[in-house]
Amino acid sequence: MKLKKYLSFTRIGMMESLQFRLATVVIVIGNLLYLTIVYFLWKAIYASSGTDVVNGMTFSDTLIYLELATALFNFMEMYTVWEMGRSIQSGKIVLDLLKPMDYRKLLFWSYSGSFVMNFFTTFLPTFIIVGIVTGGAIPIKLNLLYFVVSVVLAIMINYSIDFIVGTICLFTESIWGINIMKQVIVLLLSGATIPIAFFPEPMKTIVLYMPFQSIYNAPLTLLLDGSPDIEDVLMILGTQLFWCVTMTVISKLFWKASLRQITVNGG
Amino acid sequence: MSKVIEIKNVTKEFKVLNRREGLKGSLKDLFSRDYKIVRAVNDISMDIEQGEIVGYLGPNGAGKSTTIKMMTGVLEPTSGEILVNGNSPYKNRSRNAQEIGVVFGQRSQLWWALPLVESFKLLKDIYQISDKQYDDIMKLYSSLVDIEPLLHKPVRQMSLGQRTLSDILAAFLHDPKIVFLDEPTIGLDVAMKAKIRTLIHALNKERNTTVILTTHDMGDVDALCRRIVIIDKGKMLYDNDIEHLKGFFGSYRTLKIRLDGDMKKNGETVQKELPQFSVDSDDEWISVLVDEEKEKVIDVLAGLQKKHNIRDMKLEEISTEEVIKKIYEEGVE
Repeated sequence: MKLKKYLSFTRIGMMESLQFRLATVVIVIGNLLYLTIVYFLWKAIYASSGTDVVNGMTFSDTLIYLELATALFNFMEMYTVWEMGRSIQSGKIVLDLLKPMDYRKLLFWSYSGSFVMNFFTTFLPTFIIVGIVTGGAIPIKLNLLYFVVSVVLAIMINYSIDFIVGTICLFTESIWGINIMKQVIVLLLSGATIPIAFFPEPMKTIVLYMPFQSIYNAPLTLLLDGSPDIEDVLMILGTQLFWCVTMTVISKLFWKASLRQITVNGG
Repeated sequence: MSKVIEIKNVTKEFKVLNRREGLKGSLKDLFSRDYKIVRAVNDISMDIEQGEIVGYLGPNGAGKSTTIKMMTGVLEPTSGEILVNGNSPYKNRSRNAQEIGVVFGQRSQLWWALPLVESFKLLKDIYQISDKQYDDIMKLYSSLVDIEPLLHKPVRQMSLGQRTLSDILAAFLHDPKIVFLDEPTIGLDVAMKAKIRTLIHALNKERNTTVILTTHDMGDVDALCRRIVIIDKGKMLYDNDIEHLKGFFGSYRTLKIRLDGDMKKNGETVQKELPQFSVDSDDEWISVLVDEEKEKVIDVLAGLQKKHNIRDMKLEEISTEEVIKKIYEEGVE
């Protein structure tokens, strides 16, 4: 019964995205254009380096990594911060707070529909195209299963981080700068713009101890390794699980405390 | 009759940063700890019973929205106690939300891109309304308004009137004990206003739902409310039935006229000619507050027409603001 309540949000979200047919087409085309640019950029980088392997990654490794990172980004990005910021500024948030549901869940499930849609419009086509272009360099084995589990965890970590940043908007009442800063930090430190293997040594160590790499680097590492040690897999998933729980708890507590602040001092 | 809302000596204070002027001031404000306390609601008490329609009136910034936000659980009172259905709304927001419905005339809770029926279905799942209950209420709705054409129309294509109507239906969908209507008729034409009033009245009767209505339109109040609460500057001015208040505004009408020549000078002349009534004037209109017990509006107008060339006129009900002004001037007995 409870699940039905949430799945109802997924359903309405999917219907909402389907209302805007042209937008769907534009997203698909825009995604393909971006992938083409990444392809030629890194082709040039590898051509000028003079070797086939840079930082332990071949051209097709790098390409698969970055193209799929983009696809993951398009699929996971929920614009939670925008949505929260806008509802806070316009006061629409009052209507959401007056639903008999936890706001954090309500917002997540409101987005779940567009998740499903984005999976089919951006992630799946990219996955297939990259698979074909690189001549089957993506291993199709047990790693796909690890990848799916890892993506689910990544979605939850990403959402919690977004939710924390969105909650900050309750205090600042401005969105733009905060959101841009968040995006740059997350995309860089998660390895979505440049593979973490390319980072200088001390930086690599620091980044691996932060939650961001669990969003993009972790699932992609699991996907690209065709025959991983089970220990490595458990290590990566375990780290993700740790960050997932930690960030969820932090985002929940922060929201609760902030909401109290607002209800006491007015919004 | 049982009490659904009890408010006891509720006060709400906000901390507001004292802002300085200019760029330099704005920079200083970043580090400022200079707060002032604003008392938005000051020691309000009232009880509201099941099935009542209460008109909650007051000028802009009087503290109406703050009180409503406290009753819905969005804000916590600084002191005093609020009980809604025996629960404290801000401590059990989710549970309280199940029992109330809210309509803000200025914004919609409906899913903008989708046909109305989809919003209803989602609300059905959110509030866990049983199929039977849902069918019952839809039957009731179709007996009250022509709902079929609305159901399959995307909300974004609706007129403001249709959207407001749909929002009201959405608020009553889960059969809440209390519905808060915040300026539901704002910006609507006369016919739509009448339609919405009839709907609210019928839903209140059918479901015995308590309705709390804030509005600036005395027409809404007149058509719907038996009891009226007026607040201004956070303080309660009046809490009694409407008949009592009609003594203040029932026999009053505002006559607005436009004359040739300088309006300000004209205003003074008119005041001299009608010393028994209060006359205001601005650039566009001269307003005469006529007490019909003393003299009929039509006679006043006839008298004015003999001396002036009246280019335009209109007749208005006394506004909430004027009622409050009169209450201040004369007190309520």
